[in-house]
Amino acid sequence: MTIKLRYWLAILVLPLLSSCYPKGAEYNEELDLVYTNYNPDFNFASKMTYAIPDSVIKIDGDNFLDPDGDLKPEFLTPANSALILNQIKQNMSAYGWTKVDKTANPDVIILVSTVTTLNLYYYYDWGYWGWWYPGYYPPWGWYYPGYYPPYITGYRSGSVLLQMVDSKAAPGAENVPVEWTAICNGLAEGADLQSRVQKMIDAAYSQSTYLKH
Amino acid sequence: MKKIIMFLLATVCVGGVFAQGSFTATYPISIPMGDLSDYIGATSFRGFTMEFSKRQKKNLDIGLETSWHTFYERQSPAVYTEGTASVSGVQYRYTNTVPLLAGVKYLKETDGNFTPYAGLGVGTIYVNRSTDLGLYRITNETWQFALRPELGVLIKAGSGVSGVLGVKYYAGFGTDDLDGQSYISINLGLMFSNF
Repeated sequence: MTIKLRYWLAILVLPLLSSCYPKGAEYNEELDLVYTNYNPDFNFASKMTYAIPDSVIKIDGDNFLDPDGDLKPEFLTPANSALILNQIKQNMSAYGWTKVDKTANPDVIILVSTVTTLNLYYYYDWGYWGWWYPGYYPPWGWYYPGYYPPYITGYRSGSVLLQMVDSKAAPGAENVPVEWTAICNGLAEGADLQSRVQKMIDAAYSQSTYLKH
Repeated sequence: MKKIIMFLLATVCVGGVFAQGSFTATYPISIPMGDLSDYIGATSFRGFTMEFSKRQKKNLDIGLETSWHTFYERQSPAVYTEGTASVSGVQYRYTNTVPLLAGVKYLKETDGNFTPYAGLGVGTIYVNRSTDLGLYRITNETWQFALRPELGVLIKAGSGVSGVLGVKYYAGFGTDDLDGQSYISINLGLMFSNF
């Protein structure tokens, strides 16, 4: 075979090589990821009650969203907040927890936030909650006892963050321990976004059986 | 992927120096073994193999081989736990390998149109292992020392053209980054020669 013919064969072959690259995820749902982590020294079994705010705060990177410049954080719409919060409440109830008012001395508090951004610094200021929900906590920082939350980067990524904090941590401490955290992450788009979020919240609980009573 | 294509193209060009030899192109079906099989169990139907050989003696070829094998598998939704952390989702697993080998091939003379052969290749395998989980990708790239014994038969089809049917065992040796990647390839193709 001449060298010339060999080159022609190579040229014919190269497009074939490109086409042998396999496909990846074809549905938004397949890009969903649920991350959970917890403090192994925290006795979840001894905690029975929880309180939860009635809104879901929007976070952008390490700041809350404040498009109108009034220095108040922005929240998800009541309908979207309810969708997420109800799913959490259902799961908490199924695991034997009792929801109480924040004034009723709950064992833990669950704080829920969302973020749609390229980069998420999974460490934002506790002050947003303390400021907006004065009944919940003074504006302290927080920490993750015995584990570290991940640093997440993504493209067109959206996350729902759940943080369960110990509401009976020593008063006066500078930081509040986050005893359990869940991150539901995926593409922040698509007609099935709401049902995907619900499924991801369910997954966060089903992979955190230590929360079960 | 562009890098791999450029690499293969460069190898084709290098092959031009074997003016008195043969060019073999085969389609491989590859069955993963060992650590690769633990990671991706599925047989690969994606790949391409090229060889450039020079006939040193009547029944002895020396040559170069490069190829590209793509292993791929979608994992069912699962929870992956390490310590206190759990991650759940759908994993897409990919392993691309590009062996680059120098080899010898002994051909057994026969009266008919069938020429059995046995060979051994030595060189390196470029391995790119990627795991997609959610929107994230974890990639592990490495070069591994490799041996590749082979058995096969040439079937004379005409002047300067033979069919090729062979089996190759690619055995990569482990590195700090990745255990040795190995697989068996069944190859079907054509050999063009000027002898």
